[in-house]
Parts: sequence; structure tokens; C-alpha cells
Amino acid sequence: MMEELAKVPWAVIAPLIIVQIILMIVALIDLRKIHATNGPKILWVFIILFANLIGSIAYFIVGRKQS
Amino acid sequence: MRGFNILLQKEFKEAWRSWKFLWIPLVFALLGMSDPLTNYYMMDILNAVGNVPEGFEMLVPELMPVDLLQASIGQFQTIGLLVMMATFVGIISKERANGMATLFYVRPISFGAYFMSKFIVMSTVSFVSIFAGFAASVYYTSILYGTLDLGALLVSFCTYYVWLLFVIAVTLMMSASFKTVIATTCGFTVIFLGQIVDMIVGMFWTISPWKLPSYGILLARGTMEMLDYWWSVIITVVLTLIFINIGIMMMKRNASSTKI
Repeated sequence: MMEELAKVPWAVIAPLIIVQIILMIVALIDLRKIHATNGPKILWVFIILFANLIGSIAYFIVGRKQS
Repeated sequence: MRGFNILLQKEFKEAWRSWKFLWIPLVFALLGMSDPLTNYYMMDILNAVGNVPEGFEMLVPELMPVDLLQASIGQFQTIGLLVMMATFVGIISKERANGMATLFYVRPISFGAYFMSKFIVMSTVSFVSIFAGFAASVYYTSILYGTLDLGALLVSFCTYYVWLLFVIAVTLMMSASFKTVIATTCGFTVIFLGQIVDMIVGMFWTISPWKLPSYGILLARGTMEMLDYWWSVIITVVLTLIFINIGIMMMKRNASSTKI
């Protein structure tokens, strides 16, 4: 198991994973605080959690309702 | 420039609260990462997707680090600009539409200060964004391909930033002049249609703002006519200033159309 993990090129993978996690957490925090979204809130939770990079970006662009 | 500092603080606070300082740079970082990665792992990706015939061999061109920087800038030019303009195009017109602008316009603020505070916030966000994008791209390029010359990098970065200031000025001018929907259409038309026109018939002229991103790369490669470059930069800066002034004028004229 440890050898398998050591074989992964971490210098290549790690930044991608970090960016992905930050985006997801920020999107979820924002979703928690925001009053209303375009479309049902629970739908956005699933989009952010499962459509990994695209989901959080899509939430920020079209999901937030500004007013 | 009455109340400029206060307006600036208000804009920064708003951008910060809506996480713009965080997620737009992250999007640019992702765009910067994507090209070096997909180019490097192209064979693996093809194998994983399947349907590669037995004994298939592809001649992959030997890519230099500058080529990858060019590819990353190409990504910023399409998706990056789209994200940037889509998030900022309503910055003035939406305030008018939902009545928030009324709260400002009844006070004795100067429109120039109000417009410039928005411009400065947008340019700060875009600076952070392309910094993140370039950093991600260069990080992966240096890991997978080889290091870039720092001077060349700095030159293409600054050139690209001048182009972005032009894009921001166009976006804000459209936002000040029209409603959000029309502003989006007009802004996208000017920026993206301009790029397409420049691509198709752009060989007949050498000086235009739309050529600036590719000039930055040519400068990094060291194959650039300096005279064309400086004229393009000067024209872009002058156009940016003109657009800012038109924007301030239109903002003043449209002040009466705000919802009460």
C-alpha cells in the first residue's frame, strides 16, 4: 500500500487536489451562508460535491443570486 | 475624487464577501495547470480513453516551455476572459437595476471616483488571477518540461496585464452604458469577435489591442518587431483611458434610469 502511494507523482497531483478541495469548501461555506440560490439549494450541494471542479465553479458563476 | 477611499473600501469588501478574490484566481490556476498536464500525459490519456489501434504511433512534437506558456495564455483568452467578464459585467448595471445605486446617487459623490473604485477592484482581482494562472502554468512546466527564462516570463505577464486592463475598461464601459443583458452581449462581441476578426484578417495590420497577448509570447521568444509592439501597447493604453472616460460619462447620463 505504501509503495503504491509512493509511486504516485505527488508534485503533479497535489496542487490539483488542493485547489479542488479549497474550491469545494469555499463553495459549501458560501452556500451555507447565502440566503437564496438560483434553483433549489440541495441541488447545488450535490452539484458541488459530485461534479468536482466544474461544480463549484458553476455554483459561483450561475448559482449565487445577488441582490 | 470625493469619498474615493470609502468607495474603494466598499468595493473591496463586496468583492471579498462574494469570494471573488478566491475563486477567480483558483479558476485561472486550474486553466494554467491544464495545458502542461494534458500535453505531457497525452499518450496516457489516449491509452486510457481506449480505441487506440494496435501498433499506433503518434509523433508528438517536442514542446518548448514557451509553447506551453502560449497554450496557457490561449486558455486564459477564452475561458478565463469569459469567467472574468461574466462575473463583472453587472457590476454597475445590476446596482442600477436592483436600486442599490439610488443610495449612492443621492449623495454628493463624484462619478469618476465611483467608476475608478470599481475599475481598481477589478484590476486587482485580475492581477491576482493571472498571477495565480501564470504561477500554476510555470510550476507545472518547470516540473514536466524545463524552466522558463524569468525576464521573458515577466515581459509576457506585463503585456498580458495591459491587455486585461483593456478588457476591464470595455466591460465597465458597457456595464455603465446598458442594462446587464445588453452589456454582456456588447462586451463579449467587442472582445471575442474582435479576436476572431483579428485571427482571420489580422495579417493585414500589425498594430491592434487584440494582438497584444500573442505579442507577449513573441517577445518572450525573442522574435518581435519592437516598433509594432510599442505602438500596440500605446494604442491599447490610450483606448483604455478613452473607454474609462466614456464609461464615467455614460454612468452620469444613466444615473436617472436607476430603480427607486
